[in-house]
Amino acid sequence: MKSRVAAYLLTVWAVLTLNFILPRLLPGDPLSSLLDPESSEYVFDGEVRAALEAYYGLDRPLLDQYLAYLKGAVTGDLGRSILLNRGVGELILSHLPWTLLLTGTALSLASVLGMLGGAEAAWRRGTSTDRLLTTASVIAGNAPVYFVGMILLIIFGAELKLLPLAGGRTPFAHYDGPLSAAADMGRHLVLPALTLTLGLLGTKFLLVRNNVVGILGEDFMLVARAKGLKPRRLKWSHALRNALLPFVAHLAAHAGLAMTGAVFIETLFDYPGMGRLIFQAVGARDYPVIQGVFLMVALVVLSANLAADWLNLRLDPRLAEEARK
Amino acid sequence: MRGLVKPAWIAWFRETDAMVGAIALAIFILIALLAPTLAPYDPHEFSGRPLERPSPSHWLGTNDAGQDILSELIYGARISIAVGTGAAVGTVVLGILVGGVAGYAGGAVDVLLMRTVDVMMTLPRLPLLILLAAFLGSGLLQTMAIISLLFWPATARVIRAQVQSLRGREYVKMAYNFGAGAGYVLLRHILPQIGPLIAFGWITAAGRAVAMEAGLAFLGLGDPTAKSWGLMMRFALNLPGLFLTDRWLWWLLPPGLCITLLILALTFFGMGLERRLHPRLAR
Repeated sequence: MKSRVAAYLLTVWAVLTLNFILPRLLPGDPLSSLLDPESSEYVFDGEVRAALEAYYGLDRPLLDQYLAYLKGAVTGDLGRSILLNRGVGELILSHLPWTLLLTGTALSLASVLGMLGGAEAAWRRGTSTDRLLTTASVIAGNAPVYFVGMILLIIFGAELKLLPLAGGRTPFAHYDGPLSAAADMGRHLVLPALTLTLGLLGTKFLLVRNNVVGILGEDFMLVARAKGLKPRRLKWSHALRNALLPFVAHLAAHAGLAMTGAVFIETLFDYPGMGRLIFQAVGARDYPVIQGVFLMVALVVLSANLAADWLNLRLDPRLAEEARK
Repeated sequence: MRGLVKPAWIAWFRETDAMVGAIALAIFILIALLAPTLAPYDPHEFSGRPLERPSPSHWLGTNDAGQDILSELIYGARISIAVGTGAAVGTVVLGILVGGVAGYAGGAVDVLLMRTVDVMMTLPRLPLLILLAAFLGSGLLQTMAIISLLFWPATARVIRAQVQSLRGREYVKMAYNFGAGAGYVLLRHILPQIGPLIAFGWITAAGRAVAMEAGLAFLGLGDPTAKSWGLMMRFALNLPGLFLTDRWLWWLLPPGLCITLLILALTFFGMGLERRLHPRLAR
């Protein structure tokens, strides 16, 4: 575990440094055009301009800039948005809950459905049900999420008019209480969450299916069968349970994928999360926001990976044994 | 059970997906090659009034600038396939270089390179892609370069494992003992063995590159002058009230469908190839 933590810290440092070097290394330094009065992208707001100059400290030596940047990153000072003239940290805090709601819902749904479906398909491996489910999940897992979302949007939003087309809640809505507010947000969540669930479901299903197929061939399964255990018990408590270990590590890796999917889905559905924030920032070339969001997402993904490693060690004594060696 | 002989139709079905993938891929490549002959108009030409409905002169209507959507769609295949091919070549070349050197050299070089690979594999790709695209600018070459830069580690890992195992084989050691140089051994004994791996890595990378190129264009980070499928979707979605009419049917849906079909064609083709490589996977 110690080496894992070391690797994690190394990666975090790599992310931080990349984030620092990239804007300075690449041609057409975006900041110079923002500070140059001749340029079309010149920032007219004097206060923002001063903050920008001070934040990036472009006149100081590179090492000083780097240390100041690291200090800012550690203390949560991520600079100011050029477009919105608000702190990047503050912007992220107001968008992050929406993304967590979306990805959290989708990850949980996809996990449960993937486990149930995967175990069932493995149990009936080789049958047409298995083939159908496997092919369907290859398609669902590889089709771009924005296309899947588009289809759902067209069917349920545009044609059947069952669900709202865009947004996280109804604009200017007046709620009678927290319940009606939650119901409104829930209605807006259905399509984006369903899209992301479908996108994540494919790989989860395949992973569980292949794991369970492997376990069904193990000796202890034969013993369990010989003991006369009921098929239901065999399938769920013996086969699926043992297939869950690799699933945990996979789940964390999928936190990153969920974030990725969320960027496209939030753009498509105009959902007010991190993806939407980064999309707006890209459109306006709002570099401090792009960098801040990148940093935030990278840290979330890396932390999820570390958490999964730790959880895996706790769940599987064999791995802990190995790690101690 | 696993030991039982499987009915023939299952084996047939198994291969069908690879066949379907290969045929679909061939069709897309043909469309891309024959685009000037197939397309009724130049995709940049203002051949009609803005937002025309489908008609005999414009089968899929026109976009908001009055350009023929069908022609845009046909020319879009060129961009997806060019970026997919180019980015996949970049990915595989970088992967072979790093993986080959690491597997062949071993020792400290191997540790250093593989640590880099580990770090790169844990980095969240899409945000990094967006960051790079935002700073590098948006041309097709940049898009290809960015995708190659981000996706090589997976290939490098596979190639390294294979090179490492080949290096220890008796016949390779024998070649050394007979006085063969490193270049000869690499070309003569190692490259042919990793050929199938390269092919599979190439197909996987191409599928990802196609998806990423379209995704970047969709987010507004692609080449704004290239008529790509992702950009078509972006323009369609930018039209206010797109879903209030049935315009999405011929403007938004076709490019989305094309991207998805091309990616699925590559996926299924790759799956067939993978089974050839690892027969154990075909359970």
